[in-house]
Amino acid sequence: MLKYTLRRIIEAIPTVLGVTLLSFVLIHIVPGSPVRILLGNHYTPYRAELLSRTLGLNKPLPVQYFTWLGNLLHGNFGYSYTYDKPVVSLMLQALPHTIIIVVVAVLAAHVFAVFLGSVQAYFENTKFDQIVTVINYFFYSMPTFWLAVLLIIFFSIDLNWFPSGGIVNTQLASPSFGDWAKHLVLPIAALFLVSVAGWARYMRSSMREALLQDYVRTARMKGAKEFRVIFVHALRNSILPLITLLGLSLPALLSGALFVEEVFNYPGMGLLYWDAVNSRDYPIIMGITVFVGLVTVIGNLIADLLYGLIDPRIQYT
Amino acid sequence: MSNVLEVQSLHVDFHLHGGYVQAVQDVSFHIKEGETLGLVGESGCGKSVTSLALVRLLSKTARVTGKVLYKGRDLLQVSGPELRRVRGGEVSMIFQEPMTSLNPVYKIGAQISEALRLHDKVSPRAAFARSLEMLRKVGIARPEEIMHAYPHQLSGGMRQRVMIAIAMVCSPSLLIADEPTTALDVTIQAQILELMKMLSQDFGTSVLLITHDLGVVAETCDRVAVMYAGNIVEQGNVEDIFASPEHPYTQGLLKAIPKIDSVVKERLQPIEGTVPTPARMPAGCRFAPRCALVQPGCRLERPSLYTVGDEHVARCFLHDRKEVAQ
Ligand SMILES: Nc1ncnc2c1ncn2[C@@H]1O[C@H](COP(=O)(O)OP(=O)(O)OP(=O)(O)O)[C@@H](O)[C@H]1O
Ligand SMILES: [Mg+2]
Repeated sequence: MLKYTLRRIIEAIPTVLGVTLLSFVLIHIVPGSPVRILLGNHYTPYRAELLSRTLGLNKPLPVQYFTWLGNLLHGNFGYSYTYDKPVVSLMLQALPHTIIIVVVAVLAAHVFAVFLGSVQAYFENTKFDQIVTVINYFFYSMPTFWLAVLLIIFFSIDLNWFPSGGIVNTQLASPSFGDWAKHLVLPIAALFLVSVAGWARYMRSSMREALLQDYVRTARMKGAKEFRVIFVHALRNSILPLITLLGLSLPALLSGALFVEEVFNYPGMGLLYWDAVNSRDYPIIMGITVFVGLVTVIGNLIADLLYGLIDPRIQYT
Repeated sequence: MSNVLEVQSLHVDFHLHGGYVQAVQDVSFHIKEGETLGLVGESGCGKSVTSLALVRLLSKTARVTGKVLYKGRDLLQVSGPELRRVRGGEVSMIFQEPMTSLNPVYKIGAQISEALRLHDKVSPRAAFARSLEMLRKVGIARPEEIMHAYPHQLSGGMRQRVMIAIAMVCSPSLLIADEPTTALDVTIQAQILELMKMLSQDFGTSVLLITHDLGVVAETCDRVAVMYAGNIVEQGNVEDIFASPEHPYTQGLLKAIPKIDSVVKERLQPIEGTVPTPARMPAGCRFAPRCALVQPGCRLERPSLYTVGDEHVARCFLHDRKEVAQ
């Protein structure tokens, strides 16, 4: 299995490199230059020339790309234009904030979606199933940022239960754990709601399929309770497609986090990326691109390994 | 001898496209203690539907009426918990498809012990030991190893042996075996049937053996019920049915069995035509369209079951001067 893991990682390197190249090309196609944005009102052609030279932006694009790649191979992500700090330290600062909301939302959404989809499949085409399906479609088709805005309007402005943004109340002298947790609720809720809807639909169809299998009939024939039939016999089989989906959905969630962090002004990777795109801070954009590429590869790998743990028919060689 | 199972006027309809189709109609039979009853008929005549209906394993779209008296209790009426106590503990079932009837993600040992632990209060260790013992009884070589194997590592014959182990591990009073050998190689078929015969004798288990093979019936059953298009058309002791079949359908089936010991190589005579589907049942006798002895009246009215001998009934107008059976 170690050999398999290594092979998968090595196989992924070209993909990640391709993604960085694509991203590099894209950010240079988009109009607007970092120099102009950085100089702002102090813009003069002379200063621009000077700054371009300092940032290395005057060289031909292929040279810029390979310089960046060369540095990356030495573990050097470069320096941010706007913050004047290494990209790595900016990412490490933002990462824990994103990890906490994404991990909590993913786990909660997965557990809930598995449960909801299973129960829906069991009560297929009843009133319960139909109502839940409609609610699912509602959240599934709703853009993430719009959902985030709605959450702020209801729970922050109208009800005043939760703060509308940030990670701590800046008015407090020493913010408590409870205060911090309160700031997490709405961003997590937004990510949770958009994920549950899609996953529950997958789970419903997967469980529906499983419940029709012969081994389910065998379980009933043994005298097992319906709860056991669903959650012991059918679940372990029907959860397999969802695990692949989990791996695939990690990057999608990061892009979801981007909108959520922007709306909630939450200082994670998403907001860092958002600001970097607005100020054309190329090193940060490229750094986060590499990071997301790695997360995608690792997510898929973990999903495949988990799959093998659950399904004894899979052997990794 | 008392009856382990008594089925009275069982009807099964499936809800389909807003209407109902009749899959099984007015099926009655009984099984005495220690007896093996064969239920035979061509593919699609309703054998599996009948057997699944007995323990309420049909899908929600099925409407089942009639009585299924297991030791006097009507299984169609008992509560959920009582039904679950009967299933697996007192009435067990083996299915037609050994390849898919075991759960692919659990070990064989776990799947056998589960059946035990759902019914008896036994420790995991004791359940494991008894499951191992059961695997040995169903003739699996290296049972210790197989306890830790997954279904996909086993052949079809081995899986069916495991299914038999699961079905028999609680020493049920009644075993329903729905074409347990159809999916297997011919050489394995005989071994599995022999095993079932031996185990049911050891455990004193009555058996409902479903098959479309009259040769199997001749070797393993005491009595036989012949099904055609959702009806039982003839029922009686195996010797009587083989010696003097009274329904044209049974006669046709018997002509279609190859006789290994016959000196002259007779040509097999399969019955012409096919079983009507539940949605397109003929109005009169259901066998009339294929019957060689059909009379005009057969197409108008449905025959009752007439008593044609000792414990021998047939659903055919050829016998309508005889008494109508209960
Ligand atoms: N869930 C269902 N919904 C509708 N019709 C069904 C359903 N299950 C079975 N039937 C119909 O009932 C009839 C009897 O089917 P059944 O499976 O009992 O046949 P069988 O005698 O077991 O045949 P085989 O020898 O092929 O196993 C068939 O015509 C089948 O199409
Ligand atoms: Mg069948």
